[in-house]
Amino acid sequence: MKIQSPVVGFINGLMVTIRSTLRRPVTAEYPAIEKRLPLSNRYMGFPALTWDYDVEEPYCTGCMVCVRECPTQCMSAQMKDNPQHEKGLSRRRKIIESFEINLGRCILCGICVDVCNFDAIEMSHEYELSKYQRNANRVNLNQLLDMGVVYQNKLQWTPKQPQKNSGIPLPPKQSEDSS
Amino acid sequence: MNMPEIVGLFFKASLLLFFILMVVLILTLAERKALARIQQRKGPNRVGFKGILQPFADALKLLTKEDILPASANKQIFWIAPLAVFLPGFLIWVTIPLAKEVVLANLDMGLFYITAISVLSVMGLLMAGWGSANKWAMIGGLRAAGQLISYEIPFIMAILAIGILAQSFNLKEIVDDQARWPFAIKQPLGLFIFLTAGLAELGRTPFDIHHAESEVVGGPFVEYSGAHWSVFYLAEYMNTFTIAVLTVLLFLGGWQSPVLPFSGIVQTVASLSWFLIKTALVIWVIFWIRGTYPRVRIDQLMSFGWKILVPASFINIFLTASVLYYALPHWVITVVSLGFLGVTFYFIKKGSLAGHKQNTVTIINSSDIRAQLSNRAEV
Repeated sequence: MKIQSPVVGFINGLMVTIRSTLRRPVTAEYPAIEKRLPLSNRYMGFPALTWDYDVEEPYCTGCMVCVRECPTQCMSAQMKDNPQHEKGLSRRRKIIESFEINLGRCILCGICVDVCNFDAIEMSHEYELSKYQRNANRVNLNQLLDMGVVYQNKLQWTPKQPQKNSGIPLPPKQSEDSS
Repeated sequence: MNMPEIVGLFFKASLLLFFILMVVLILTLAERKALARIQQRKGPNRVGFKGILQPFADALKLLTKEDILPASANKQIFWIAPLAVFLPGFLIWVTIPLAKEVVLANLDMGLFYITAISVLSVMGLLMAGWGSANKWAMIGGLRAAGQLISYEIPFIMAILAIGILAQSFNLKEIVDDQARWPFAIKQPLGLFIFLTAGLAELGRTPFDIHHAESEVVGGPFVEYSGAHWSVFYLAEYMNTFTIAVLTVLLFLGGWQSPVLPFSGIVQTVASLSWFLIKTALVIWVIFWIRGTYPRVRIDQLMSFGWKILVPASFINIFLTASVLYYALPHWVITVVSLGFLGVTFYFIKKGSLAGHKQNTVTIINSSDIRAQLSNRAEV
């Protein structure tokens, strides 16, 4: 006959609760800024546009691929001829003129980042949707660039394809002439 | 009785009521904090320093809420019920001493008075259930009645054993009798029965089936709101405090302490604080139990009460009485009582709690079913 301890069940339960009582509370008191949990680098918040510090303009050329691929159609974009390109200061022929994302509609899927050929859009660390105005979640180009700059500075962000996507003007094509 | 005496008594009673209200306010916060810590949360920490003003905010909110009277309710019964729950609980406090001199009226039949009065609150719960004209309230009220009446027996029996041991029903004399050894050491089985039955009397988890939110959505209190609901709440926390105080008085030696060498007013204050510290510990145990165990089913509750606690309480009382009758040394009670405590735990573990034969569900393997089906197909 196997003799069992007669009290194991409910004494064990009490021990479990006393152990968790002695641990520190894990509550993150969210709205207080200094008490928020740290975000990891791979955190995916709302999409934001990146800024090319080399030539002081956005990476985005307004190619519309993100707008077309967006599953919730939360974006819209317009391009224009790049005035810096005409002066010979930038490699980009076209540049973004206006860009709007409805953050209330965005599902943070990251497809826009995957399809972008110019490293121009990134999932930032921005995640708050509560605003004081009704339309404040429709963010325009400037706000998107601000979000992107904060993200870039926080992560020391660099483009994934620097040779291809840098805005520094190409040197004149002398090799073709000489050959 | 002349006029100044009456005024003095009135003043004392008001002081007592104020004390109870303060204790209840502290207890509501303490419970939320304790449960939060058990679940590794922080609990209320916004109102005042670390949330200490939270109970006042809650009280203010409750008092300013609308008192709703259901259209089909029985008006008189509905409005009187909160008072009928609160008053018996408060009347108990007339005879409960908090220190040697701090008592309103030290009755010779104090324990008898307490048991007699405390049963009355069942009536209030039934009235609330009936008066609400609501099926959940009615079921909750009847559950409360069944539960309280079942657990009243082991509760009173545990108190009776203490009365036998101390040869008195006077709470002060009982405490004086524990100067050397608190009765918890002499009667571990009695302490277990008293605390368990006390929890059931309070209707606290794990025995809170009469206001089980998931089944009867709040029991007798479904239809109450605002100030009247807060009176029920008040009564509940007051009774929790009462049970904790009674546990300390009857089992843990009341204000007796190994180290309190003072005299006069200093000694009164010191022993009062000592007493309140003990009470706080018992209250913490009650909160701890609430944070640990899930609610029992109604059949588990009934079979635990009638099959385990009632026999155990009779054994306890028989043991105490026979040891005193044959003038055996008191450690005999301790030893035998501990043995029976083990037996009680054994029966709880064995599953007498479930109230019926376990494993009533037959488990069939899917391969067996497939074999049966293929046999049938062949035929």
